[in-house]
Amino acid sequence: MDPILLAALTATLTPLAAFGAIVLATRRRPGLSAGLAIGAVALALAGALFLLARLWGLEMSVTYTTRWMASGSLEIVCGFLLDPLSVLMLTVVTAVCLLVQVYSLGYMAGDPGFARYYAFMSLFAWAMASLTVAPTLLQLYVFWELVGVSSYLLIGFWYAKFSASQAGKKAFVMTRLGDVAFFLGLLLVLTHLGHVEITRLNAGAAAGLSGHRLTVAALLIFGGIVGKSAQFPLLTWLPDAMEGPTPVSALLHSATMVAAGVYLLARLLPFFSLAPTALTVILAVGTLSMLLASTMALVSRDIKQVWAFSTISQLGFMLMGLAAGGYVAGVFHLTTHAGFKALLFLCSGVLIHHHGTNDIVDLSRRGARRQTLAVACLAVAAAALAGLPPLSGFFSKELLLAALAAHPNPVWLAAGLLGAFLTAYYAFRLIFLLLAPPAGGMEDAPAPHHDAPPGVRGAMAAPLVVLAGVTLLLGWAEKPLARFLAAGGGLTPTAAGHHAWLPFTAVGLAVAGVALAWWEFGRRQAPRVGFAERWPALGELFAQRWYLDHLYRLALGALVDHGAAHLCAQGDRRVIDPTVDGLAAGTVAGGRRLAVWHAGRFQARLLALFLVVAALAVTVFF
Amino acid sequence: MIVPFGHVLLLAGLLFVLGMVCVVARRNLIMILLGVEIMLNAAAIALVGASLRWQAMEGQVLVLFILAVAAAEVSVGLALIVNAHRRSGRLDPNAFHRLG
Repeated sequence: MDPILLAALTATLTPLAAFGAIVLATRRRPGLSAGLAIGAVALALAGALFLLARLWGLEMSVTYTTRWMASGSLEIVCGFLLDPLSVLMLTVVTAVCLLVQVYSLGYMAGDPGFARYYAFMSLFAWAMASLTVAPTLLQLYVFWELVGVSSYLLIGFWYAKFSASQAGKKAFVMTRLGDVAFFLGLLLVLTHLGHVEITRLNAGAAAGLSGHRLTVAALLIFGGIVGKSAQFPLLTWLPDAMEGPTPVSALLHSATMVAAGVYLLARLLPFFSLAPTALTVILAVGTLSMLLASTMALVSRDIKQVWAFSTISQLGFMLMGLAAGGYVAGVFHLTTHAGFKALLFLCSGVLIHHHGTNDIVDLSRRGARRQTLAVACLAVAAAALAGLPPLSGFFSKELLLAALAAHPNPVWLAAGLLGAFLTAYYAFRLIFLLLAPPAGGMEDAPAPHHDAPPGVRGAMAAPLVVLAGVTLLLGWAEKPLARFLAAGGGLTPTAAGHHAWLPFTAVGLAVAGVALAWWEFGRRQAPRVGFAERWPALGELFAQRWYLDHLYRLALGALVDHGAAHLCAQGDRRVIDPTVDGLAAGTVAGGRRLAVWHAGRFQARLLALFLVVAALAVTVFF
Repeated sequence: MIVPFGHVLLLAGLLFVLGMVCVVARRNLIMILLGVEIMLNAAAIALVGASLRWQAMEGQVLVLFILAVAAAEVSVGLALIVNAHRRSGRLDPNAFHRLG
């Protein structure tokens, strides 16, 4: 068999095999289940790396398809689309999955649902890996939904906890809202073009759609992206998704689930670029989400929520960059973000696991700074998030800002720079809060969550080191990666006007953000009050997430409880009940009337008999 | 035949209708039985008239049969009526609209 096809099959199907094996056979043996899952995802990573190496040399895309279903002239294929974008994403997905699964050996040790956890992780890895290599939108949609299902399962993993099962449901339902739009867009494309093959859509087949229809289709598909990548206005599910185990958050926020939305936009960027209106909408939504989420992160005290908000804002940033034409920039930032965001969550997981709390101030009081490795890695990742050189985030952010600078409207660039400042500020606010000795002195560390055996600690430390290394070094891979992506993407990188001042401005703003955070939280005698909290109204607005959740609750209450439900109840009481009752009463009354003829009144029957015979005689004889 | 056949048939028809009205309209079981007898006899008159008209004996034979059947019917019918009257004390046909 063709080695490339074999590698693609390995990279996508082995996690499914592990899922099946765990569910069917090894459910009762946690150790074996974890081994199976990790082995499978390691194999998948090997396959992905092989593909990357092969395609790196070839600099072309390879497609394997076979007919899936045919109906009339409509034919839908399935298979693999292996081009630089999909293979790069496949590598990122499998690598992060592998690291997170190794890390979970420590984090989830002793959990009663250990085997179930690894089964869901394998399902997740399979769904996301298959999503990346889908050649048609329909196949992509199938795995898109599977990603949604598996993240529902993992967010609500501790289902006995009420808030966790609620968060799982919220994530599922809110992303479903977007998915419905995506599916409608897909159907629109399918009915008007007769196919949903990504390469053909990108190659300009979508020009067959009329202008308005194209815009509508692009916006509908973007609806799916909004749901999946937790953009405004569907962004409230992501902070709640923190109810899942921390490694799940790491996976969810870096390479899978939310990344799927941005990946779809990158995948279909040539298609989207045929609809300039849609691109403007994407720019606006990305900007709004980025700024909203950044402000929410300014005041959050929950360490995981800060990173969750930063995910929303970074994804918004990627959408902005992609919509401004920065294909390479967006994909590169997706890649680097996957690395440092996974690192952020995994480091936070170490602290949470050891100290048993999510609250930053509590963590600091309980001596989080003594976990040298975790805090050091956290600082590296936060610096990458802030875009400080020479970390990976600096390179990708600079590319994104350059893409925005090339856009004729300067508003987007200004918003991007503001976002960079806020990002640096809230990332280092958290770091300084953790590091600075609290005002009341440090508590004697209460008994930690539970004492981890050294093997467990090693399993949790190794992924941190690997990811920190990636965060440190990935930035230098910018040029070759850009060339690689541009070779297969069919998109020539837009010759962005070179703005010499831009990197300096960006770094200057990031440093300013860090300095402000140091002034307010880091130095001795620091007030430890952020600038947003100085105005209580503003702080409250940010802490309540702009009251979006309240608004949705109100809207749901008005629309569903008082609107639709009330209407249905009225209809039931006023229309359906009387109709059914009337029907029943009418039947009974009619029966009573007719029953008279069945009572033994033989004279009446005889009369009827005579009359009938007489009538028959009349008709026969005359 | 002195009387025209048409008149015979007219008489038979009138008698039949009279019997019918008696059967349908009267509210007395005995009168209903009488009505049935009148209807049978109307048929018998028509048969006798026809037998004279075509000079054939079958009509008169059939009339004898009808007389026998009518006698049997009256005896059985009266027995039923007497029984019903004993059980309920009434002769109104509408009183017997239940099974059992």
